[in-house]
Amino acid sequence: MIVTPKIFARLAAIAILSVLLQLSFFSRVELLHTSADILPAVVVSLGLLGGSMTGAVAGFSVGFLVDCLLVAPLGGSSLVLLGVGYLAGLFRERFDIHSPLVPPLICMALTLLAELGFGAVQAMLGIDAPVSALVIRDILLKSIYAFFCAWPIYFGLRWALRPALVEEPKVTRRRQPTVLGA
Amino acid sequence: MYRKQVRRRRAVLTLLILGSFGLLTITYGQSSGGVQRSVSTLFSPLQTVADRALKPARDLVDWFDKTFDARGENSRLKSELVGARREAVAGQEALQENAQLRKLVELDRDPALAESAYKPVTGRVIARSPTVWSSTVGVDVGSGDGVKVDDPVISGDGLVGVVASTQGGSSQVTLITDHTSAVSAKVLPGGVQGVIRPDVGDPEDLILDFIDSTKDVHGGQAVVTSGWRAQGLASLFPPGLPVGEVTSASIVEQEASQQVHLRPYAEMANLDLVQVLTGGSRQ
Repeated sequence: MIVTPKIFARLAAIAILSVLLQLSFFSRVELLHTSADILPAVVVSLGLLGGSMTGAVAGFSVGFLVDCLLVAPLGGSSLVLLGVGYLAGLFRERFDIHSPLVPPLICMALTLLAELGFGAVQAMLGIDAPVSALVIRDILLKSIYAFFCAWPIYFGLRWALRPALVEEPKVTRRRQPTVLGA
Repeated sequence: MYRKQVRRRRAVLTLLILGSFGLLTITYGQSSGGVQRSVSTLFSPLQTVADRALKPARDLVDWFDKTFDARGENSRLKSELVGARREAVAGQEALQENAQLRKLVELDRDPALAESAYKPVTGRVIARSPTVWSSTVGVDVGSGDGVKVDDPVISGDGLVGVVASTQGGSSQVTLITDHTSAVSAKVLPGGVQGVIRPDVGDPEDLILDFIDSTKDVHGGQAVVTSGWRAQGLASLFPPGLPVGEVTSASIVEQEASQQVHLRPYAEMANLDLVQVLTGGSRQ
């Protein structure tokens, strides 16, 4: 990804908009008693589009903003999201994405990892109460929701960041073969 | 060229990881409040606008979710209503008796007295934490409205939580379902006292701990805040705030206490309007 000042502004706007959407909408609506968490999917999509550095920096920034707005321990969400952003970017640098099914599947897997990561960070900082088995259901449902949310997120971000994408396939038309004597 | 790029990438990654750990260290050194307050103040108007703009969409999704839930809940509510009617009649009698007793015994634990000292400030929930590991919400009232840290927060149904931090026009509330929360409470009738702690991951279940196993606690009993006061120290919560209803009680093996599970009255997942009880006898 070629990050010009314009693209940087777009990335910042995407991060702020996603955090606001998450806190004001997705966290507050529940389906099957679980709310969706789109932030890992946004960070993973940015990693898949822009590479490991873009993913890591986006993850760190989004996590920092969430922790600031919720007055949660600073650094916890940043650590987890920068990890998933970096992993997504690494995948993009090592492998080609041939199928449109790949980004949602990666979003789902890395959302699962992120939710486990949030739990690990919380355990590291100390959990002062018993943990219900329903946490597992919540984490699994969040990953499934991420799979479905990843379609519009990934393709929307690809559209928004199109000018900066290096490997964006060009639309080329095949010339009709010249038939001699026609 | 490629090696240089790899080295630079590793350096940035290391820097970000160290930055995250640095921020965690700063947080636990209690010196990050200023940064968080500034960012929160900056984004508070945006959050308010986003909250209002997205309300119709939220309501639509809620409607679908609640329609599924309502089917099962209808029959349960009908049976509960019969019980509630019976309890209401008994409650009227208890109120009369209570009023007579209050005249005889003047205690600082009078719920009416304690609540009268509080000035409720109504606010709207504008944000909510995305993970199951923490339960916090942002509300659109802050220090400018007289809200202070540790002020209790209630909804129309019962106790919701306590103010964790506050800025000019917004505050963050730690819900009673957050793992850091602990509320001293008592079971009614009977007055058995204990401490309410959450069951992380299940917002519809709270645990009332440290209850003597010899005390009789059973399903359907109400749990309210106990609001203790001793040697200049006082509970954050005024006495008598409804918290939840006992769902089950079980004796903890090898311990002389029983664990009481309760369902909070307040619907933590669908909080919209809340009241912050400012002022009060605590301050």
